[in-house]
Amino acid sequence: MSQIIISVGREFGSGGRVIAEELAKRFELPIYDRHLITEIANRTGMTTEQIEKHDEAPKTRIISRRVRGYSNSIEDNIAEMQFDFIRKKAESGESFVVVGRCSESKLRDFDCLCSLFIIGDMPCKIKRIMKLYDMNESEAEDFIQKKDKKRKRYHNYHVKLHWGDSRLYDLTVNSSRLGIEKTIDFLEGYIKARMGK
Amino acid sequence: MLAAQIFAVIIFLAMFVLIVLDKIERHLVTLGSGILTLIVVFGICMRDGKAIWDIIAIKDFVKSDFWYQVAESESKGINWATIVFIAGMMVMVEGMAKAGFFRWLCMKIAFLVKCKTIPIFVTFMIMSAVLSMFIDSITVIMFLAAVTIELAQLLKFNPIPMILAEVFCANLGGSATMCGDPPNIIIGTSLGFSFFDFLMNTGVCAGISLIFSVVFFYFAFKKELVSTSGEVVDISKLPDPSSAITNKKDFIISTLIFALAVVLLVTHSITHLTVATIGLGIAVITLLTAGKNALELIKKTDYKTLVFFIGLFIVVGGLEETGILEYIAEFIRTISGGNPYITIAIILWISAIASAFVDNIPFAATMVPVIQSLAASTGIPINTLAWTLAIGTDVGGSATPIGASANVVGTSVAAKNGYPISWGRYCAKLAPATIIVLAISTAYIFFRYL
Repeated sequence: MSQIIISVGREFGSGGRVIAEELAKRFELPIYDRHLITEIANRTGMTTEQIEKHDEAPKTRIISRRVRGYSNSIEDNIAEMQFDFIRKKAESGESFVVVGRCSESKLRDFDCLCSLFIIGDMPCKIKRIMKLYDMNESEAEDFIQKKDKKRKRYHNYHVKLHWGDSRLYDLTVNSSRLGIEKTIDFLEGYIKARMGK
Repeated sequence: MLAAQIFAVIIFLAMFVLIVLDKIERHLVTLGSGILTLIVVFGICMRDGKAIWDIIAIKDFVKSDFWYQVAESESKGINWATIVFIAGMMVMVEGMAKAGFFRWLCMKIAFLVKCKTIPIFVTFMIMSAVLSMFIDSITVIMFLAAVTIELAQLLKFNPIPMILAEVFCANLGGSATMCGDPPNIIIGTSLGFSFFDFLMNTGVCAGISLIFSVVFFYFAFKKELVSTSGEVVDISKLPDPSSAITNKKDFIISTLIFALAVVLLVTHSITHLTVATIGLGIAVITLLTAGKNALELIKKTDYKTLVFFIGLFIVVGGLEETGILEYIAEFIRTISGGNPYITIAIILWISAIASAFVDNIPFAATMVPVIQSLAASTGIPINTLAWTLAIGTDVGGSATPIGASANVVGTSVAAKNGYPISWGRYCAKLAPATIIVLAISTAYIFFRYL
């Protein structure tokens, strides 16, 4: 397979982003996550802070309206710019890793798409977030729930099937079972098998 | 009847909530609500087959006054004249857009004022208002905002103030004529008014308001419109307006068709051709001259909006037939005590406030039977109430980013090009402008009609 697109969806705290970054490194591919924000900022002249504020965020329905595909919601417009961006990259034949952004659905019609969803056990996720963000247990749990709720609302607004629904992904992997390193090894094997097909 | 009234209200409220929530596409919401109204309200509760037939109003197509109208007449149920007219204009506008008419016009005007920021700002506001008198404001803003951004990048100025002013003027221009804004088409065709009736009433008010608006926006945005780089731009390096024309023959044809549409609309009270005839005629001419592109133009027609209207008219018909709208009229009558000044003020300001937050099309469609009832019981001429309703719904929509379609398109085009416009940014200038125009309109209606 000459082109490969690895889409990584993730629960907050599951290590999905680290897994995506490591996979990108192992397969020597560019990764679009925060980098996507920079790309859009360069293209539009918006600041990264402006984009970040509305990145992977659901719009507030009550103050938003859509007319013939146009939306006044900044969140919607940034999401659509990102969808357009990854789509154009995919159409250009480029291989890359993309984190979130409903990429498993937005790029579904590309045969080279390898879509993964990383989940984790709550105690493991809490432990990870406590360490990364210097939080206590209850703060970490609240933070995880808040982040996941936001991602879920964002995803489910833009895509018909629900966030985390196994039918959307090639593989749904619990990173708490093997640990992050071994999960990456396992996924690398799967992706190699897909590439060799 | 009580059960029918309860269901009619439930369906109407559920429809409104679903439109606001935007979970399901709005045309499916109104169509589903319309079907429910036919089955539950008219079928199960009222067991009235004739009412269903009246609401669907298919028979209107075979009536001669649907196409050729000598005396004023009012319509009930699905307002097919509105739907046929909007469909026809959609086809015409698609043809014009394809030929590059709008982009050419915007670029031409920019060059006529030598690409100077403030003159572009003023002329684009006026152009936005004038074009919106004949063409739907979505299309006007779609092109105007895109060209504004292009010019802003070339001439190094901030496009946001200009886009906001254009959006406001598009809504204002739309209020000037019968075909400028969907609420006006609904009011006009439901109550039997002509293009000229609107022009001489809401049009005069819009003209006065436009002068105030241009002055207001000039002072509100003057500082923001100064070139950000300070360097002199060589306009000979800018793209020539003629480069916007994709096909010269199509361009000339579409311009002629547009001119014909304007002439037919302005003279339709003399020729007695209805807006349905004009809409259909213009669509047929556009398609015949489009040749092999005709199918593409039909495919691009926004059928969802047409379906949205059909469902909406049925739901509102349910409210009307069950007498619910009579209660609203009675309520307005009671709080105004029959005083025409208070009645006018209530209709104008409530319509404006409602339109600032919810779609003004369902609101206007609901209010038409209400003002008919008010006219009959208070003695206030229906014309006065109609102009009040039209101005309130059309102008009120400018106050917030979600009040009117043009606002949504303008803010969306800006955001997609790197100029996001938040609610705060939008309302800071456009809400005061809306209040000023509404105050002018209130005074205008009071002095002219009462």
